[in-house]
Amino acid sequence: MPTFESIQRPERWAIPFSSEMTDADVDRLLTIEPFASLDPTRFRGKVTLRGILKNDTRLLRCQPGDIVVRQGDWGNSAFLVVTGNVRVELGSAANLPSEILGHQPVRRKSLLQIIAQLWKNSSEPEVRDVAAYRGDPRIGTRGTGEQTRVYLQDVSAVLSKCQTATIEAGQFFGESAALGRTPRQATVFAERSTELLEIRWQGLRDLMRRDDALQKHIDAVFRERALKWFLMNTPIFHHLGTDDINKLVAEAKFETHGQYDWAGSFKQLAQQGIDSSLQHEPLIAEEGNHANGVIIVRSGLARLSRRYEHGHRTIGYLTPGQIFGLDEIIDGWLGKTPKPLANSLRAIGIANVVTIPTPLIEKLLLEKSDRRDLTRRGRATADPLANRPNIDTTRISSDFVEFLVENRYINGTATMLIDMDRCTRCDDCVRACASIHDNNPRFQRRGPIQNNIMVAHACMQCEDPVCVIECPTGAIHRQMEGGQVVINDQTCVGCSACANNCPYNAIRMVEVRHRDGDFIRDDVKHAPIVKATKCDLCSDQLGGPACQRACPHDALIRMDMRDVQQLTDWYTR
Amino acid sequence: MVVVAALMLVWCSGLMTTSLRDTARTSGWGLFAMICFLAAYNLRKKLPFLHLGASATWLQLHIYFGLLTAVVFGVHVGWRVPNGLVESLLTTLYLFVFVSGVIGLFLSRSLPKRLTTRGEEVLFERIPIYRKRIQAEVEAFVFDGLEASESTAVSQFYTDRLRPFFSQTRNYWQHLVQSNRSRFGLLKEMQAYGRYLNDSEREVMMRLVTSVEAKDDLDYQFSLQATLKYWLFVHVPLTYALLVFAVLHLLLVSAFAGGIS
Repeated sequence: MPTFESIQRPERWAIPFSSEMTDADVDRLLTIEPFASLDPTRFRGKVTLRGILKNDTRLLRCQPGDIVVRQGDWGNSAFLVVTGNVRVELGSAANLPSEILGHQPVRRKSLLQIIAQLWKNSSEPEVRDVAAYRGDPRIGTRGTGEQTRVYLQDVSAVLSKCQTATIEAGQFFGESAALGRTPRQATVFAERSTELLEIRWQGLRDLMRRDDALQKHIDAVFRERALKWFLMNTPIFHHLGTDDINKLVAEAKFETHGQYDWAGSFKQLAQQGIDSSLQHEPLIAEEGNHANGVIIVRSGLARLSRRYEHGHRTIGYLTPGQIFGLDEIIDGWLGKTPKPLANSLRAIGIANVVTIPTPLIEKLLLEKSDRRDLTRRGRATADPLANRPNIDTTRISSDFVEFLVENRYINGTATMLIDMDRCTRCDDCVRACASIHDNNPRFQRRGPIQNNIMVAHACMQCEDPVCVIECPTGAIHRQMEGGQVVINDQTCVGCSACANNCPYNAIRMVEVRHRDGDFIRDDVKHAPIVKATKCDLCSDQLGGPACQRACPHDALIRMDMRDVQQLTDWYTR
Repeated sequence: MVVVAALMLVWCSGLMTTSLRDTARTSGWGLFAMICFLAAYNLRKKLPFLHLGASATWLQLHIYFGLLTAVVFGVHVGWRVPNGLVESLLTTLYLFVFVSGVIGLFLSRSLPKRLTTRGEEVLFERIPIYRKRIQAEVEAFVFDGLEASESTAVSQFYTDRLRPFFSQTRNYWQHLVQSNRSRFGLLKEMQAYGRYLNDSEREVMMRLVTSVEAKDDLDYQFSLQATLKYWLFVHVPLTYALLVFAVLHLLLVSAFAGGIS
């Protein structure tokens, strides 16, 4: 009799968005637009309108100047202005200085400062300059713990200097980023006392499915703002004119597959020892079916697999911007017979995909291309039609590929891989890291090993950084310049949301100290102040990550997992 | 590449001798410069925050120049055994540094692969902690069994034969040469002892076997990792000693050159 692990079946609303939503709040929301106009009979079964409002939303009460979202923050929810109004900063470049928003200013150390690290590094761990915590007078914070908010000290000054637009009561904002799980396009702050309803993306999706007017409105906003830009920047459509792009925008289908909070459920599965295998992953397209269109991954990750014996072998993975199904469509068009899909595509964690229907691809792309170019596609690496995310499994063993995909290491753009057949365990990498971070190493030379390759516990600078989602102050954020995910030590409140969300044990919470070694304590409870720390890819130093440069045996590399060719070449060197 | 460079050096030296040039002075300065460059690698490691090039590139150059110094040294001493106290000391130091470097190269290329074949990956500094943990676990189930039964067979065997094994790192040299002789011997002894035990004691003995294997694997990791770390404690101090004596040699040669240009 086979034995198997069993767990309680997880429920959709086992963990509500906010435990503070009351029935009275829901009753009030049901009296205001757009909820008052929604037909409750469209919400059947377990997903009721009341249930969505109670479990997938939360009310935020903002005071004047409170920053709601920052440009570049990772999007996961949309907002409805219930009362009051907010301002959205306009313009392609951020006008508000990053420090005011709680972000770390991008500052590189000078050569002298770098050399001074030789004698200035502290002998005690995690030493901080208390004066720096007195605060930048331009940065205001209110609240404590997870309720801390950064706010603009002088709203009227900001309004006079920056170009902004108003979003009034009854209007939505943030839908594009929520649906696409992409960075926020602009900073939004409360102009006066404002009440906002924050709707997490699952709730937004369910509302859209059951209300045509809401669906149309949000769909139109998304297509106009986000989808058009995305398609224009997809290499195979670079040559298309505005009219053709508009046709793509009009006919593209946008879908989300998988769980938004994949990090939490993935960690739970890992702790319970259950393989997060492809059986749990939603199927986007199946091997053997005909391609209905070209699927482009807009955000998230997807697994490419092929049937093998009684299972499925992972043969590659797709990261944002990569395409599935194009080869079969081209071959089918050339041969005048539809070709079945050679592989299956599954969402790893979560994947937002855009599907362009086959007839449109044939009309806009293939009919305008030279047949010989299509036949010879892929021979030149720069050919946009040469979209080859498949891993050459004659060069990388499939169990290593499965290991990378199962553990979501493919999420990394700077995954630390160590070849244990070359590593002499000298710890030069750790020493180099420590020397740059005031004698505090920001990674551990340990981690799971597969085929003698270790994936060390170092920040992978993820494509989808789930660590930034819950940060109340924006302390952990992706820098606009360079794109590194960094932590602003001054605005970090030590709530551990990032550390708890990180699936890779890459973030450590530390107690900070004075130079003499005593803990720095808060002035109310006298508990040590805690800060989040992680690898920042040496963003304030010259020359990039010191760990990789310091390895004498070329054993360590910070690998961009999107670059399958580089991974293959490194693995087989 | 190194071989080609070495041959070229020998050829050049031959040319210089034929043209009555002072090869000793030229090769001496060349050798000193090369040794300084080789020693600079340690300095580069101390400055990881400066962008001075990848450490792997430095090491590769260190190996090439290190091997080449053998040829330059040979040319410098005229391929003979030197006499005199200072020169003999210098030669001895140089040979120790060179040989320790070659041994280090061999160790750094061969031992990492062996480390991945056996035991779990452990941080070197944590090995004593893990060893103590294994010992504490073993003593807990061995002596717990003593309380439950009246027999002291297993506990006596542990005290006589296994306690010294668990209490410190063992078989350093055996692990280094990949010999499993002691491990097999001990396991065989434990297996043979099983005929004197009852069923519950045999179960305890099976657990002891697993612990012995785990402890032996830990010793294996220690042996190889310690060797990889500690060989540098031979190579680097000798290098500094060589540099000091090389400078002394330079001063002496300059002082007693007698004005010969």
